[in-house]
Amino acid sequence: MLRSVPMKHVRLLVLTENLPQASLALAETESFHPDTRAPEEIRLDAMPGRDYREIFNQAQSRLAKITRLIPVDGEPRIDEVRVVEFAELGALNDWLGELWGEVSSYEEDFRRLDDSERLTKEQQASLANFAHLNIDLGLLRGKTRFLNFHVGLVPRENLRQLEDAARLADYLLHVYMHEGENAHVVVVGPTGDQEAQIASVLAAAGFQNLPIPQGLDREPEALYRDLAEQRLSIEEQRQSLQETLERWGQPFHERLLNARKTLMLAEPLVALDPSLHSAGHLAHLVGWVPARAVAALDQRLRESLNLPFDLLVRDPRPDERRLVPTVPVKSRWLTPFAMLVHQYGIPSYGEVDPTPLFAVTFLLMFGMMFGDLGHGGVIALAAWLARDKLPKFYLFGVFAGISSMGFGLLFGSLFGYEEILPALWMSPLHDPILMLKVALGWGIAFIVIACLLGIYNRLAIGDRVGAVFERHGLVNLLFYLAFLWGGYGLATSGGFGALPAALAVGSLLALAAFQWRHLSAPTGEKILVVVIETLDTVIVYLSNTLSFLRVAAFSLNHVALALAVFTLADMMGAFGHLVTILLGNVFILVLEGGIVMIQVMRLQYYEGFSRYFSGDGHQFLPLRLRRGSASS
Amino acid sequence: MSSADQAYLNTRVSMMSLRLLAPEAIGPIARMPLPALAERFGLGALLDEPSSITTRRRVLEQGLTQVLLAEMQLLMRPMSAAHRQLVLAWGRKFALYNLKTLLRGKLYALDQKEIREHLFDLPDFMRLPSELFRAENVLELLRQLEAGPYRQIARQAREVYEQQREPFALEAAVDQRYYAEIVHQIMGFDVNHLDSLRRLLGAELDRVALLWLLRFRFSYHLSPSETYYRLVPSMRLLTRERLLNLVNLESLRQVIDALPEPLNALLAKCETIAEVQPHLVSHTQGELRWILHQSQSAVARALAYLMLRESDLMLLFAVAQGRLLQFPERTIEVALDLIEAHPARADARAA
Repeated sequence: MLRSVPMKHVRLLVLTENLPQASLALAETESFHPDTRAPEEIRLDAMPGRDYREIFNQAQSRLAKITRLIPVDGEPRIDEVRVVEFAELGALNDWLGELWGEVSSYEEDFRRLDDSERLTKEQQASLANFAHLNIDLGLLRGKTRFLNFHVGLVPRENLRQLEDAARLADYLLHVYMHEGENAHVVVVGPTGDQEAQIASVLAAAGFQNLPIPQGLDREPEALYRDLAEQRLSIEEQRQSLQETLERWGQPFHERLLNARKTLMLAEPLVALDPSLHSAGHLAHLVGWVPARAVAALDQRLRESLNLPFDLLVRDPRPDERRLVPTVPVKSRWLTPFAMLVHQYGIPSYGEVDPTPLFAVTFLLMFGMMFGDLGHGGVIALAAWLARDKLPKFYLFGVFAGISSMGFGLLFGSLFGYEEILPALWMSPLHDPILMLKVALGWGIAFIVIACLLGIYNRLAIGDRVGAVFERHGLVNLLFYLAFLWGGYGLATSGGFGALPAALAVGSLLALAAFQWRHLSAPTGEKILVVVIETLDTVIVYLSNTLSFLRVAAFSLNHVALALAVFTLADMMGAFGHLVTILLGNVFILVLEGGIVMIQVMRLQYYEGFSRYFSGDGHQFLPLRLRRGSASS
Repeated sequence: MSSADQAYLNTRVSMMSLRLLAPEAIGPIARMPLPALAERFGLGALLDEPSSITTRRRVLEQGLTQVLLAEMQLLMRPMSAAHRQLVLAWGRKFALYNLKTLLRGKLYALDQKEIREHLFDLPDFMRLPSELFRAENVLELLRQLEAGPYRQIARQAREVYEQQREPFALEAAVDQRYYAEIVHQIMGFDVNHLDSLRRLLGAELDRVALLWLLRFRFSYHLSPSETYYRLVPSMRLLTRERLLNLVNLESLRQVIDALPEPLNALLAKCETIAEVQPHLVSHTQGELRWILHQSQSAVARALAYLMLRESDLMLLFAVAQGRLLQFPERTIEVALDLIEAHPARADARAA
């Protein structure tokens, strides 16, 4: 489970006529991850899938636009796999283009209705604004012998510029209302030569005319009623248009579903486009396939292709390691932990997948730092209840809760109460020094395992020198163990010891010498860098080890926080006591739970992953054929 | 932006400014033959014999644009969000070039492939949404654009297009909104940066406003009010009040006479718009160089550097293009004056 799935590099040569068929065959096996590198052979400079992709993209875009107005439910099920030739795809695209031409006229009608409704609303707002004016608004409807009126809306950001421009044409602009992104304005000026000028300025400013309704001398209530009726009428028109569209679109449903099916069948060839190259009738296709799936892939191609083809399989070269995709761990239990690992990076090919180790160590540390039967139960229950909303992640919460419950039993803690449950081991506060010792031991084991994994990862890719001398390599580990040995001696017998000191100094000198050899800089700079780096090695290992004391510190902190809550609660009356206990527990769950979670992630990412996990790989994403779910 | 970031950015700008072409280096560059030009500036694409001249031109243009955008990204990295937004707003001009290409393509029903060939390859954060390429017409394209970060520009352009249905109005609206957004962003800066940014963008807007004014009024014969509406007032010399006065004048001479100093003295001898342009460019470049060397504001210096660098890269492109198309020396020099004019050279030619 820890090692990468072995991969092979495959090169497929097919005749271009067989390309659609080959793409379908590859998609059906779900084991081919395209390699987008250009072929070394310069004659393979044509991109045979480019036109196909262009047409496909346009057809898909048109279909999406059409089905926005004529909804077609579900994804058609593909029972029979067949080749979609270029001509068929082109014909489908043309048909969709013609259909969109007609459907878009409905869309325009809907937009017109939206605009009319918006204008009517603006008119209502304007009339409410004009209601208290003692003038004949009918005069604003057009122009008089000497004056020309424009009443309407203009985007607010254009207002200042428009006002100045209008003044240049001897017009005045008056803003009588602001609403949303628009300003309601009256533009008034002389009739004659200036009319054309102001018209072009208004057009450039996106001015929208707001028609003044007829019969402004009537009762305001009557006018409002008219406008309300207009809005009602617009709504009816919209309903009617929707019904017309539905009736009109009904005969196309079947054909649109078939179009969707055709596009699903054409998708694999489109997905392959970046890795497709050709010369004349010969097409070249390369990719990565899990070693165990190569035989099945070969078999499938033999069954599908009616023309000759050539499949060349080889192992990945060392220089291609970073290009080889990593097949992800497939385990329902590990999925949420894999998501957290992927936040840091994807394991590169050949590298140990840290997910299982991450899962175990995460749960152990979280449980120890937040050990409480009651709080753990709440976390597990909350995660279980959220399983529909977080289907891929809820198990993380359930496991974290269970771990917390397990440590709660060891510590004898139930919602902070330590008198209810007998501890299977002891309360952290009972012997804090022992807790710190356990945390320290845990940290040492964690760092040693991380270093060993780092060494293994380097050996797995053939980097023997790196495995011995690089940072967190074998010499580094030797230094760490000697340093610990000496430290233990210092703590127990008062002396560091000659042998551990010799080992520690020797390994440090070996590291420094290695660095010196691989550094290309002036001598002064080299001395500075090597001294600082060597000092850094000592400081980093010391601080990283001490960093794990937080595992014990948080278990003590949990008990201390509960004690603080109880002390506060005891100062209250009966009701206050209950409320304080409740709120205190919520506080512990949310705040301390969150902090513990962050601290554990920090320990994993910083003390663990930085030692052995590069995370610079990329995920295996094979070519697939969408099969659909709903029946057509 | 912390003072450490400001110091870091200032150092970066200072180091990068060493890449700028000195004014006296432009003459020799203009006279360089193609192989020497390719070798000096690492423009290998120029000598790629099997490719057509059009392909070589495109590859070169894309390559130079990538250089500028890569430097822009480098400078943006230590900036605060507001500063980054400003630089990004300036850099959006490349996305707007693409938008204009798309609009023209839709207006004249050009082939998709042909349109694509003329688009700049931009980084993700600046790229136009891919759905735009599949829009069936201009209105659909603009409506789709309204859903993203170009909302303001697209809305304005759509409203203008719906009213006027002419490409000139559409592109003028896009350009106007582009500059208006930069001005809007600058006005939100604090005093430590505001003065430098006003001077920087003021110089650029003075150039743009005067050239647009002259073209709209005397080449396209638009009315004073329509001309004024399409301009973006500067916060330095050609302010709102000055523009209101200038658009009402009836000839190029009257406009030049009414210009404030130093523009008035600078353009005193100009008789045509073509003569005005190099002098204006020269003035703007001088202002940009002043900001680059004297300003305390790191973001203003970074922006000044990018503007000057863009001119240099355009100049290189113009020389290379001239050589590729085998234009005479004189034609290349005139083109250079429109990009990065050197006063002495411009005066010599005028004499």
